[in-house]
Amino acid sequence: MIRMIMSRFLIKSAWIAVACLAAVSTGCVPNPSAEFAWRDSTTDLIKDARSSLQNTVNENFGTPDDLVAWERLPVNYGGIKGTVAAAPEGTELTPGEFAFSHEGEGEVKPGDTVLWLSGEMAGKEATIQSADAATHLISLKAGTAPAEGTTFAVNFGDQLQLGRMVYMKNCLHCHGVAGDGAGPTAQYLNPRPRDYRLGVFKFTETLATERVTRDDLWRVIKYGIPGTYMPSFLLLDDHETTAVVEYVRWLAMRGELEKRLGDELTDYSQTSLTDQYNKAVESKKAAEAAGDKPEAVPSMSSLRNTAKDDFKEYAESDYADTVDSTADFIAENWTRADDPASVIHPAVARVADTPESRARGRLLYLSDRTKCYTCHGNTGRGNGGATEDFWPKPGSTEKYDARGLHDVWGNPLQPRNLRLGQYRGGRRPVDVFRRIYAGIKGTPMPAFGGTVLKDEEVWDVVNYVMSLPFESDASPSPAPSTKMAAHPVQ
Amino acid sequence: MSTLTPSIEHGGEHDDHAHGHGHHAEPHSLSLLWALPTFSKDHKVIGLQFLITTLLMLMVGGALALGVRWQLAFPWQRMPILGDMAFAAEGGQIAPETYTMLVTMHASVMIFLVIIPILAGAFGNFLIPLQIGADDMAFPTLNMLSYWFMWPAIACFATSFFFGGGPASGWTSYPLLSALWEAAPGSGMAQNFWLLGLTLVGVSSMMGSVNYMTTIINMRAPGMTLFRMPLTIWSMFITAILQAFALPVLTAAGFMVMADRTLGTCFFIPSGIVVNNAAPTVGGGQPLLWQHLFWFYSHPAVYIMLLPAMGMVSDMMACMCRKPIFGYKPMVYSMAAIAGLGFIVWGHHMFTSGMNPALGMTFMVSTIMIALPSAIKTFNWLGTLWGGRLQFNTVMLNSIAFVSMFVIGGLSGIFMAAVPVDIYIHDTYFIVAHFHYVLFGATLFGVFGAVQFWFPKMFGRMMNETLGKIHFVLTFIGFNCTFFPMHLLGVAGFPRRYADPYHFPYLEHLLPLNQFMTCAAILMGIAQFILLFNFFSSMFIGKKCGRNPWGANGLEWQTPSPPGHGNFDVPPVCYHGPYEYSSPLCHDKDFLPQTEYVPLEQRVAIANATPH
Amino acid sequence: MRNAAVGKFWAIFFTAVAVLAVAVCVVAPDYGWWFPGDGRAHSTLGQKIDDLFYLILVIVAVTFIGVNAALGYILWHGASLPSDKKALFSHGSHALEVIWTIVPAGILLFIALYQMDVWAQYRIKNFYPKTMEPVAEVTARQFEWRIRYPARGKKLMPTPQPDDVYTVNDLRVPTGHPVSISLRSDDVQHSFFVPELRVKQDAVPGLVIPVWWEMTDIGSFELVCAELCGWGHYKMKARVVAMSDEDFEAWKSQAAQEQFYDGVSTKDGELVSQSEQE
Repeated sequence: MIRMIMSRFLIKSAWIAVACLAAVSTGCVPNPSAEFAWRDSTTDLIKDARSSLQNTVNENFGTPDDLVAWERLPVNYGGIKGTVAAAPEGTELTPGEFAFSHEGEGEVKPGDTVLWLSGEMAGKEATIQSADAATHLISLKAGTAPAEGTTFAVNFGDQLQLGRMVYMKNCLHCHGVAGDGAGPTAQYLNPRPRDYRLGVFKFTETLATERVTRDDLWRVIKYGIPGTYMPSFLLLDDHETTAVVEYVRWLAMRGELEKRLGDELTDYSQTSLTDQYNKAVESKKAAEAAGDKPEAVPSMSSLRNTAKDDFKEYAESDYADTVDSTADFIAENWTRADDPASVIHPAVARVADTPESRARGRLLYLSDRTKCYTCHGNTGRGNGGATEDFWPKPGSTEKYDARGLHDVWGNPLQPRNLRLGQYRGGRRPVDVFRRIYAGIKGTPMPAFGGTVLKDEEVWDVVNYVMSLPFESDASPSPAPSTKMAAHPVQ
Repeated sequence: MSTLTPSIEHGGEHDDHAHGHGHHAEPHSLSLLWALPTFSKDHKVIGLQFLITTLLMLMVGGALALGVRWQLAFPWQRMPILGDMAFAAEGGQIAPETYTMLVTMHASVMIFLVIIPILAGAFGNFLIPLQIGADDMAFPTLNMLSYWFMWPAIACFATSFFFGGGPASGWTSYPLLSALWEAAPGSGMAQNFWLLGLTLVGVSSMMGSVNYMTTIINMRAPGMTLFRMPLTIWSMFITAILQAFALPVLTAAGFMVMADRTLGTCFFIPSGIVVNNAAPTVGGGQPLLWQHLFWFYSHPAVYIMLLPAMGMVSDMMACMCRKPIFGYKPMVYSMAAIAGLGFIVWGHHMFTSGMNPALGMTFMVSTIMIALPSAIKTFNWLGTLWGGRLQFNTVMLNSIAFVSMFVIGGLSGIFMAAVPVDIYIHDTYFIVAHFHYVLFGATLFGVFGAVQFWFPKMFGRMMNETLGKIHFVLTFIGFNCTFFPMHLLGVAGFPRRYADPYHFPYLEHLLPLNQFMTCAAILMGIAQFILLFNFFSSMFIGKKCGRNPWGANGLEWQTPSPPGHGNFDVPPVCYHGPYEYSSPLCHDKDFLPQTEYVPLEQRVAIANATPH
Repeated sequence: MRNAAVGKFWAIFFTAVAVLAVAVCVVAPDYGWWFPGDGRAHSTLGQKIDDLFYLILVIVAVTFIGVNAALGYILWHGASLPSDKKALFSHGSHALEVIWTIVPAGILLFIALYQMDVWAQYRIKNFYPKTMEPVAEVTARQFEWRIRYPARGKKLMPTPQPDDVYTVNDLRVPTGHPVSISLRSDDVQHSFFVPELRVKQDAVPGLVIPVWWEMTDIGSFELVCAELCGWGHYKMKARVVAMSDEDFEAWKSQAAQEQFYDGVSTKDGELVSQSEQE
């Protein structure tokens, strides 16, 4: 008895206190809302171009607190899609009641929200009073059912919302709100967390030209990436993992759209204006030096006005098409990634892991066909000569400030030390096979499969590489490095 | 003889003309306050400097604690102020390293900038010369420096917030988290500043403790024998000894970890460790060494954070019961026992650390036995209360709260001392509950009482009684609602220092309880503004009082309020122990000041008259 | 008279705190504010630890109630003292001091000595079960548990072997007999904590620490980190899955087969990749 009273009292007081606190905390300070950060290239655009781009992206993707599900993208937003069907024979329907058919898995429950997708009521919502899975009948809380053939969705976007929740709790502080790999923790991590916005992911099971599959993302989330700060989220519920995979893909597509549109609009950026101006100044100087009559240098504001007018024209004529084709391009690419044909399957089973196979693999490793050693080093320690060179930035003659290799995100990159037994993309032979076959996307690790190496040869290299962690340090030994020579053996 | 005893009227209410007495002009009631911004060498000014600094730091530490509580109640929701300022782009959702920073800095601020300096620094400084009848500390310049070394320490701690999100390896700073720059965002420059701050706090404490020992040994007034010293002095004396012996170890350990970080030594770093893909360590060191060194200081430090409060509560309680302390000598001996045993129990922080398991047994026995002197003290406090004429004022309430909370804190310690049980509750919220009951429940309530009790001596005015009681009740309720449920969380296996415990299914259902605790913590936080208001406003509008408003026996009550430079207008002579309340020797009143001489014939007459 | 009433109020106030504290503890199990899961330890030593916990709880509860009853009574008594009466003038009692030194000393010594046995079994090698093989090497790293098992029929070696089986955040152990793991850390200090087994051991960089226990039940139990290891301390969510001996061996074979999957070979025509299975 006393226990009962005590516990009721405790719970009650707890809830009253919570309510008071919530009231106080929400009332006092304006709530800052999370934002998808924009790329530098976007903020660099002139005002009109920038707002057009931002409007396009916002219209189709929304903000973190108000997500938009863009149907033309191959993202599973969750929910059930259905069509209003003809009433079954012999059934009298009340005004709010209708029969339906639906595609795919899932169950319609009372309290769920119906979103009408076509017909007069398109865009409007209604709440379900009751739903019968057996007879396929739904009755609404209020309002009348629309005509037969109207399409609708129930709980549309649920999965995306769930993905956002899971992402917010587990991923955001490294990968950032926009998936830009620039969350608050990111700056302290080596390697940097992935920036999804190029649509490029390193460890995939797909061909070198294809994007990442849902399975790849699933595996990375479930098993983590050893040797990095990406931990294993093995015990995340499966439906949460599925949702966050979709959310990550969605963020990647959002980033890609922004990036590609931005690339289309580079003519209307501050940088481009400055370039034009500088060029004009230079040509004027050159003309003066040559004694010619110099052309007048246009002022920055006139350049800006020209660009503004140009953009206006562009916006009226081509912009919509550009958005359309970019979206199509992105959708196609991401759809193709999940096509089984894009997944690499070795043509032959693993070549038996014999000393002979390893020896063949070693020769390949050290051969000029593969040039593995240039990066991974003669002994596989990831210290090849390439790590000492200065490399040019992609698409330019300018070189990186730091020695060694860089990835497409501009981060310095160490070739893997193959003797640690650490396999970032997974330790199954097939994983290592795929790394060699298709390369590692976004990095200088090239694809060897199909062109350079036959599948059997890839397996030989796999066998050699996977034997390295168990080899004694001494064998097989090429010339000892200078450091080793400096310390005489005792 | 009567010429040696200044004729002072007792009892604050009818003491309006006290300033007419003595050879000195009475100092202005705010004379200590005006001296605050100076490099004064007067122990009272330094005590007050410490007191006000630590009270402000208490608010800082409390704010950090509320940040921790907020995250535990509303994980990954917008955090007011901090979240809005630093994480606007994330919608005010803090990063996990910020949470570990909050945990670390809450503990660091509370321990090193509040509890230790408020006890030894503030009350030690203010009370030691007054209670032993000295005109100042033995080394006034050293004393002044001990306060001003706090500021570089505070500056170091403050600076550390600006690197990598602040130090985040816990106040215990276990290597390798604290030894390797790459181990965490806060393990870089932030950790260096934290270690520097720690060292400076240590220097400050060390200067204080040397001074206290010398002063207490050498500068007692005539007649103030060791066993006539108030328990406050005993506790300060024992604390000073603890500090003098334990602190060098921490300082050395701090330098060692600093050397590991900056000079390339490897005291604590084993070989072949890779964090954040930095180069592997060359090593040869042993991380457990830090734990031994750290806890060799930090366990005695627990008593440094408790003993002075025990002493002050004994003083206050005897006065508010109008009764001698029960078992004065057992009180002294048990404090000495706590201090002695305190040096051989540090291993109980390391039961699960992988140290030699045989050590676990010896440390368990010594740890459990340290409960004995604590129990004796508790029984003696109950004995003191028994049969007293209890004055239920703020001082008394805080003192009783001290005992009551200390009982809970002490008893929960037994669970942790039993090694097998500790395997389970180690590093869960059970330990968080335990040390908050001791450090907040006991020490801080003791401090709240002491502030109220000795405030009149500092400013010649009383603190407001009603506000004091409101503050006490709110704090007491808020405290218990915040920390008692932590025992239960601990039993449920709720680990410490988790930014988000609720994604573990076995902890999911504890969210509502945590929200309740956070509400209570906020209530408690707000209540501290009452204390601050009461403290600062009473300096100006408090009821004026004379030298001895409480009718207490100690020497400090024979001086003007506040005492002028040099404290006593007549060099005091001590004739009795400090707790002769309600003695038959004091006929017309119920207390017998230590300076009051009772002629022999009178004593004989009274002894004869008293039936045995 | 008013003073007496005020005093009595405070006497009740302080007693009420103690009463509430006890009451909260009594109702706690109803809300799950007690041992996790079904409240039972699922390892043999864990059950002994629970017994010790409850023993101490009883001793502590009796002491707590006794002390608070005394405190409440003393305060009440003190409040009702007539205002003209002086306080009792007493400096203490030698007899009482002796009693309340010796009695608690005896109880405390009993508690201390009574615990020794379980501790010895838990940590001291001479008291370990005689037949016990390490099942896996558990390596804590920021912020996950990486686990290495010897191949079926082989012993765990201190260094990795080509045929070892790996999992992450998923420790499988057989039930019904003592098992042990070798606990290591790759980077900073972590702590291996399985609440429902009452097992906790720090993973110290540079040391390999054996930890043993004996599962009493089949099931899945949560494994967490209990030592601050950086910003992702709370992320180290893993599980210990207790299986029957046969299931354990079968699982190990299955895991090995998946781990050596080459994307083609199908020994019995049924092998699927791990991701498809999930």
